[in-house]
Amino acid sequence: MRWPDPHWGRIVAGIAVAVALGAASPGTAQVNPLPPDKAFRFTARLLDARTVEARFRIADGYYLYRDKIHFAVEPATAGLSVPKLPDGTVKEDPFFGHVETYRGEVVVKLALTDPQPGQRIVVVAESQGCADIGICYPPTVQRAPVALPEGSMTPVPASQGPKQTWFN
Amino acid sequence: MKSIVRRLPRWLALAIVGMLAVALGVGFALWDRSPADTSALLALSLPDTQGALQPLRQWQGKVLVVNFWATWCEPCREEMPEFVRAQRELGPKGVQFVGIAVDQRDKVVQFAKELQLNYPALIGGYAAMDLSKPLGNRLLALPFTVILDRDGRIAHTQLGPLKPSQLHSIIDKLV
Repeated sequence: MRWPDPHWGRIVAGIAVAVALGAASPGTAQVNPLPPDKAFRFTARLLDARTVEARFRIADGYYLYRDKIHFAVEPATAGLSVPKLPDGTVKEDPFFGHVETYRGEVVVKLALTDPQPGQRIVVVAESQGCADIGICYPPTVQRAPVALPEGSMTPVPASQGPKQTWFN
Repeated sequence: MKSIVRRLPRWLALAIVGMLAVALGVGFALWDRSPADTSALLALSLPDTQGALQPLRQWQGKVLVVNFWATWCEPCREEMPEFVRAQRELGPKGVQFVGIAVDQRDKVVQFAKELQLNYPALIGGYAAMDLSKPLGNRLLALPFTVILDRDGRIAHTQLGPLKPSQLHSIIDKLV
């Protein structure tokens, strides 16, 4: 094939026209925000036999509200004590007053009160956040499976934690 | 078939692939632009802050600005004073703003009072929000605003706040 081939010009021009047509749909705002599960990526991993580390990786330009983050485990019999969420950045909201937000990353340790050896649990996280471009998402529920270690419930070293999850 | 494909010069095969890509692109653009059906939206009847059902059809024939919002959405609250102003100025010209709150009634009542909201705040919940999806709100985020012309056709949809200048230039063409 010769290069440059005269037909390549037409092909490239054609694709450019198609892209331009696609981008120029009138009457529609041109914002391309991430879906909430991409804007606020949720993962969970085992730290030891009774502790799960939950993590939100928040994309640049997005933030989560501290008081809108809630955790649960399934099955509920594994038990979850009320987690301590890290301090956020304080913001004075004209309607809600004192609110705290997170950017970047939020890591929360979840203590299981009654885990069973070898049990497969699902960490359920509800969160609600917004994007700086001026949109907010309704509360979003995300789930992450975690396999608890078989056998004795003695804590496993944290460095081995990720190998115990379904993700790694 | 195979032999025909083999006999085609490479540049021609590439050109065909290119044209197919263009056709797909144009097709998608046209499909993406086809006017969304507003009948489900206009058939909606939601309670206002007093609990009285308000059918959206009652505003048919007006330029209708339907704004999906919530008190938990700060950018929503920030753009609403402009809607209040526009309702006051453009209401006599046949423009009607309607807010659909994806929220709890008490929060809506409190905020409507603070803002001195001069247009209906209907309580929709997440089910009403789903109605905005076929209108272009693929991510179900807020604020989302749909502007309908007097014939009930979509003139504009917007995810994220409307700039006052943008709002007025769109409405000016419809009144």
